[in-house]
Amino acid sequence: MTLDTDALIRRLAETSVPVRRLPAPWMRTMAWLAIGVPYLALVVIVASPRSDLFQKFSEWRFVIEEAAALATGIAAAVAAFATVVPGFSRKLLLLPLLTLAVWLGTLGQGCIQGWIRLGPNGLSLQPDWFCFPAIVLVGAVPAITMAAMVRRGAPLTPHLTAALGGLAAAGIGNFGLRFFHPQDPSLMVLFWQFGTVVLLSAIAGSAGRYLLSWRTVIGRSGQQAG
Amino acid sequence: MQGSSLDHATEKDRRLARLMQAAQEGDGSAYGALLKEITPWLRQMVRYRRRFLQPQDVEDLVQETLLSLHAVRATYDPKRPFLPWLAAIARNRLADSARRYARRTVKEVASDTLPVTFADEAANIPLDVYGDPEALRHAIEGLPPGQRQAVELLKLRELTLKEAARESGMTVGALKIAVHRAIRALRNTLSRDR
Repeated sequence: MTLDTDALIRRLAETSVPVRRLPAPWMRTMAWLAIGVPYLALVVIVASPRSDLFQKFSEWRFVIEEAAALATGIAAAVAAFATVVPGFSRKLLLLPLLTLAVWLGTLGQGCIQGWIRLGPNGLSLQPDWFCFPAIVLVGAVPAITMAAMVRRGAPLTPHLTAALGGLAAAGIGNFGLRFFHPQDPSLMVLFWQFGTVVLLSAIAGSAGRYLLSWRTVIGRSGQQAG
Repeated sequence: MQGSSLDHATEKDRRLARLMQAAQEGDGSAYGALLKEITPWLRQMVRYRRRFLQPQDVEDLVQETLLSLHAVRATYDPKRPFLPWLAAIARNRLADSARRYARRTVKEVASDTLPVTFADEAANIPLDVYGDPEALRHAIEGLPPGQRQAVELLKLRELTLKEAARESGMTVGALKIAVHRAIRALRNTLSRDR
C-alpha cells in the first residue's frame, strides 16, 4: 500500500454509508431456521414419511436422538454465527459440543444395549449408502443459506466457522432424514448417519478459506462504497 | 487510582462506541474521528507485537486493519464494548499477516546477491525512484481516471483481475492495458520529477 494512512481514513469517512447491523447470533439462527425448516418439511413430504412415524414418537430413544440432532444443528448454527462477530464469547463453542455429546452418548448407549440383548448380532453393520446423499439433500438449502449468512460477518476463524456451519446443516439434515428413512439400530445410525454428519462438517471445515476470506470481504465493501 | 484509570478506560470505550454507532448510521465525520482516534492505538499494538517490522510494514498492517474494520463494521453491536471488538479484528489481522509471512518464507529460496544485473535498460530502474510516497501519490492522482482506477484496484487494494473487472465495470483486457499504461506513465513522471 502506498496511500498514507490519513488519506485512507479520509477516504473511508467520505465514502461511508449507513450499514444494517448484524442481528445477534440467536436471532440469525431463527432466521436461518425459518428458511431451513419449511424446506426440510417439503423434502420429508415429497420423500413420504415412514409408515411407523407416530409409533416412533412414543419411543424415548428415537425422541432423544432426534432432539439431540436438532439441538446440535441449532447450537452449531448459533456458534457459527457467533464466530463471525469479533470478540465473541468462546463459551458459545461449548454449546454444540454439549449437544453432540448427548447425541453420541445416546447412540453409544443404544449400541451397548443392542449388544447385551442380542450379542454380536446386535452390532451388525450393513452398507447403507443412502444416508450420505439423503443428508446432503435435506441439508442442502440450510447449508447454502448458512454459507450466504456467515459471509456477512468477519472471517476470523474460516475453518471453524465453516465446520460449525456444516455441522448445523448436517445436523438438521439428519433430523429430517429420520422422518422418512427407517434406519433405527444404534450402530447403523452411529456409523452411517452420525458418521455422515461428522464427515460433512469436516469437508465444510476444510473449505473454510475458500468460503470466507478477508480479501473477499474487503473487496466487497469497496464495491459497495464505490 | 486503579479505579480512576478503569473509569477513564470505560469512558473512552463508551465514547468510541458512540462514534461507531453514529458511523454505522452513516455519519462520516464521526467515523473519521473514530478512525483517527484508534489509529495511534493500532499502530502501537502492531509495533509492540511485531517489533521487527519496518515502519512502512507497520503502516501497511494498520491500514489493513482499518480496511478490515470498515468491511465488517456491521458486526459491531453498540450494546457491547468497542475496544474488545476492535482488538479481536486487529489480533486476527496480525495473525493473518504472520501466516502470510510464514508461507512466503517457506516458498522463498535463499541465495547470494547476484553480482550482475540484466543488461536491458528497463531492468535497471534506480530503486530510490519510488522512495517518495508523496510524489507517487501525486503521480497517481495525475493519471487519467481509468488508469488511476486500475492502479487503485489492482496495485493498492490488490484485487484480482476478475474482482477489479467486476468492481470497475471494465473488461479484464482493458484493465491489463490500463494498468500497464499507468505504470509506464508513473515511471516516466517519477523519473522526470527526480
